[in-house]
Amino acid sequence: MANAGNEIAFKKETVAKLLTRSFKEDKTKVSGDAVLLMTEMLKVFVEEATRRAVKQASSEDCDTVDIEHFEKILPQLLLDF
Amino acid sequence: MKMDEDEAQKQRLKAAVHYTVGSLCQHIVAECEKQITKQTIAAIAETAFRQCDIFAKDLEAFARHAKRHTVTVDDVKLTARRTTALYNYIHQKNEELALNNQELKEKRKKNAAKRKSKDMEAEENEVED
Repeated sequence: MANAGNEIAFKKETVAKLLTRSFKEDKTKVSGDAVLLMTEMLKVFVEEATRRAVKQASSEDCDTVDIEHFEKILPQLLLDF
Repeated sequence: MKMDEDEAQKQRLKAAVHYTVGSLCQHIVAECEKQITKQTIAAIAETAFRQCDIFAKDLEAFARHAKRHTVTVDDVKLTARRTTALYNYIHQKNEELALNNQELKEKRKKNAAKRKSKDMEAEENEVED
């Protein structure tokens, strides 16, 4: 899996907050390493979404990636994750 | 009152996600010599935000199943189980993380290993004879 722009990443504070606000129990915490790994997961998710949408646009001979392209690849993306 | 705070935090988080997603998208489409609409970026950002909620709930469930209160990397690895390539990638990233952590403990381990190998060498020499 190729890495897009190694400098571009989600801030771990953002990811930590994103996760903890969705937890159902107050007692649940996340380890530092888990946050870092989830940051990678999110990045891969976004990269996959974008690359698949680009492929879809290419297959339709479009230079601009439109929402329809994203919508077409969305079901499989969600299944794969 | 708390509802407003939550809502405000949610908007801040969404904005942060949107910003990073935008940067990632632009970088990737530029590489592929294409363009992308703002609407598409917004859709990807929204999807990522929602996916995070799903991930979080899964992580909490896995930790709870293991009778823990703290989510660990083992739980994260489980969320990547559906696709082999993804699982392997996350595994690899975890190894890199572990390596970074190991560097801190390395000095202590090195000294212990030196002593051990000296003892083992002595043992081997005895056996060969």
